[in-house]
Amino acid sequence: MKNGSLFFLGLFAALGLAWVGIVVSSNAQIGSLAGYYDDTDSTSYPARPSGLAAQGALVYKDLGCASCHTQQVRRPGFGSDQDRGWGERQSVARDYIYQTSVQLGESRIGQDLTNLAGRKPSAPDQDDLLHMLYQGQGAMPSYQFLFETHKIQGEASSEALKLTGKQKPQSGFEIIPTTRAKELVAYLLSLNTTYDYPEAHPVAGAKGEGEK
Amino acid sequence: MTHASTSPSADSADQTPAESTGRYPLLYLLGSSVLWLVVSGVFALITSIQLHTPSFLAECPVLSYGRVRAMAETSFIYGWIGNVGLGLALWILARLSGEKLRGANWVFVGALFWNLAVTVALGGLALGDLTSISMYQLPSYVQPLLFCSYGGIAVAGLLSWTGRRREMMFASQWYAIAALFLFPWLLSIAYVMLECSPVRGVLQAVVGGWYAQGLWTLWIAPLALTAAYYVVPRMSGKVIPAYDSAALGFWTLLVVGGWTGARHLIGGPIPAWISSVAIVMTVTLVFHYIVVFLNLRMALKGGSLSLGFVAIGLICYVAGGFVDALTSMRAYAAITQFTVYEDAQKLLALYGGASMMFFGALYFALPRLKGAAWSSGALIKGQLILSAVGILVTVLSLAAAGLVQGNALADAKVNFSDIAVQMRPYLLVASAGQFIILTSSLLLAVNFLKTVITCCCKSDSSKEGALAS
Amino acid sequence: MSNSSHNDSRFERAANDDAQVLDSHEKALGPQKDDAGNYNLRPLLMLFLLSTFVLFAATYVNRYSGHYSASIYNETALPHTGAEVVVKADPVAAGKKLFNSPGACYSCHQPNGQGIAGVYPPLAGSEWVTGSEERVVRILLHGLKGQVTVSGTSYAGAAAMPAFGTAGYNWTDEKIANVLTYIRQEWGNKGAVITADAVARIRSQAGDRKEWSSTELLQIK
Repeated sequence: MKNGSLFFLGLFAALGLAWVGIVVSSNAQIGSLAGYYDDTDSTSYPARPSGLAAQGALVYKDLGCASCHTQQVRRPGFGSDQDRGWGERQSVARDYIYQTSVQLGESRIGQDLTNLAGRKPSAPDQDDLLHMLYQGQGAMPSYQFLFETHKIQGEASSEALKLTGKQKPQSGFEIIPTTRAKELVAYLLSLNTTYDYPEAHPVAGAKGEGEK
Repeated sequence: MTHASTSPSADSADQTPAESTGRYPLLYLLGSSVLWLVVSGVFALITSIQLHTPSFLAECPVLSYGRVRAMAETSFIYGWIGNVGLGLALWILARLSGEKLRGANWVFVGALFWNLAVTVALGGLALGDLTSISMYQLPSYVQPLLFCSYGGIAVAGLLSWTGRRREMMFASQWYAIAALFLFPWLLSIAYVMLECSPVRGVLQAVVGGWYAQGLWTLWIAPLALTAAYYVVPRMSGKVIPAYDSAALGFWTLLVVGGWTGARHLIGGPIPAWISSVAIVMTVTLVFHYIVVFLNLRMALKGGSLSLGFVAIGLICYVAGGFVDALTSMRAYAAITQFTVYEDAQKLLALYGGASMMFFGALYFALPRLKGAAWSSGALIKGQLILSAVGILVTVLSLAAAGLVQGNALADAKVNFSDIAVQMRPYLLVASAGQFIILTSSLLLAVNFLKTVITCCCKSDSSKEGALAS
Repeated sequence: MSNSSHNDSRFERAANDDAQVLDSHEKALGPQKDDAGNYNLRPLLMLFLLSTFVLFAATYVNRYSGHYSASIYNETALPHTGAEVVVKADPVAAGKKLFNSPGACYSCHQPNGQGIAGVYPPLAGSEWVTGSEERVVRILLHGLKGQVTVSGTSYAGAAAMPAFGTAGYNWTDEKIANVLTYIRQEWGNKGAVITADAVARIRSQAGDRKEWSSTELLQIK
């Protein structure tokens, strides 16, 4: 290797080819996916997140929730994602088109949250999630900085957490979720991928593993 | 074949114009790298403890797991690897050019702002400006600064290369130039596609994966190999075996590396072809690792502490490549994906592979740059032993924890909350390993500080004496 | 290493200098001695090895790329190879959605198909639902008004069944076929599938008209 300009050209081509081959081509392919309009219920899927949920997505991102939680369900044969009730079908690209900052995640110290609000038979509700955030559970730390302890003035707040045992605040005080906590929970409750897209159907006769 | 006994070094202090011109900027780069290494070690230890004891520091939002993890990664990659890799690459390019280091002042200014950018990035991460994209945990406002300051540093390397006395290029020069040239492209493309006009949906993950794998194969690995390919022939005095295949190994890394982007998206919500391409490219990359092993195997004979570091680095680098190829296959990925096994792989490559090569070259470079010996030989030996033990303990325990986690996750009958309990003993060992690694980094920091301070005090009066010892 | 005896670990002496490194490696890439016993097989072997990797890569991608289709997420699947049969939607599932869509069937006939005693007749176990497809399609297309007897109980006709055909909600043939197939196979009903073609045929036969009465319908077999 003595020819400097040829060497540079090689470097540039190496990077450029990979970029075109992976990034540009996949962008051309799925970069402008539209929602799927279902004629039978006259609705387009996925649903756009509400304003509060969009705010909550920012809280999710800034606390780094994605370092423990994934948001992608794999098809049967890849782990037990669906057997654990995390979703009834595999996640597809269309699920994410309206998320401003996609949080696929790379680690499952915590559970997968793709379809948290659509889980069957019972999905957690706002109360469950607020309690889990306040108390922590298993490998999940408590996020008490998302809550405030107030002195009860007059009537107790309807938003106050109903806690028992050691975590119960001293009498005369109550624990109220902050706006951030409420946004985060609204976001978590917007995670719902129950709608079945045609491309998410597993193909018959191909349930086995990919490897030879 | 040149041999040491027949042709000793011209100058016993091994000084060239590269040292006299580049001394202060390069020492600044190396010094700040060591500081970041210690900082990232502390963060890594905190996250490691939080994995088995979630309540550790949990009441403080700044030190919540997600943020500390991001800070550990950013200070390690952009603080430690960025500084040490660029510092060594500039030094090696200047020495091989046979000329002085041109643009040394620009290097100094660039390095100053680079470290400022890393500091601001850490502050931003602590306050929650995360991207949640692995290896790209950079708040959007530091990237222009990183980009510009990088220009100041890298331009000196390019000048050294274009102004080289000999037309030929040695392997270290290929790798160094490739790394210097490709990083700004990677960073700016990722910046445009993720921050300026973000791509839609899962493509963000594709771009993020492309950047992360590109950063490893096109920047970190070439910087580490720059150092290794230089130290091995210098210390052994022999020609690199199978040197005619080295170019093949180089181009394999460069051409194939950028395609491995979707390596961590196997089974994910992207069309199958994207991950299939990543799998075959990761497997093909094994060829590169074979070539590197054939080339650098002389390091395994040892004989010096610098070579000892490079030898461990070589073993980890090659082992990491093989493990990477294996776990990219879908059948294995289904188990190891989303587990701490991937943390073990990252540690094996980034710390065991790249960093150990940097340590070897750092121990070789500093006495020449400073014109004085290291303050303590025992501390060097201590770091070698501790870092080797630390890598072994941490990588093995994390890998074991990851396999336990992966198998438990794959079995729907295992209660999810039991998985953390099953992993706990291994994670405790991993924390011990992280502590050993941090201790080894501290030994380096102490030795570095003592060397620089002593030799600054003595530099006028007893420089000759220090060299003679 | 020959000079390791004077090698201090605090300042490890190099075995050569930069120029020697460059020299020796330039020579290593230049023409080598080509003596008979000195033939080096390794460069050839390395090329062979690289080709093996490339061959593997090409074969694998060719097999597991799903023909680079944007909608193939399972790498073992191929587009246009028998997969088309599977993509067909399930009429019962689609019909269930329609039945329960806002303001539709369920609001009168109830999600359990039992209706409301005395006002809305049940669909579960109803001979009108599971019987002749000619009648049930007509009821849906044009509506039903007046007295009707279902499963032996007489309903005086306090409420009328609205039309879902052109005169009413204007559902497509396919939607009507789906929802009818659903009610004919749910709640223990065991009626045959109704196809969109059948609905289209009856729609064109009957033309535009107002609600049927039960006596009119009973004349149709």
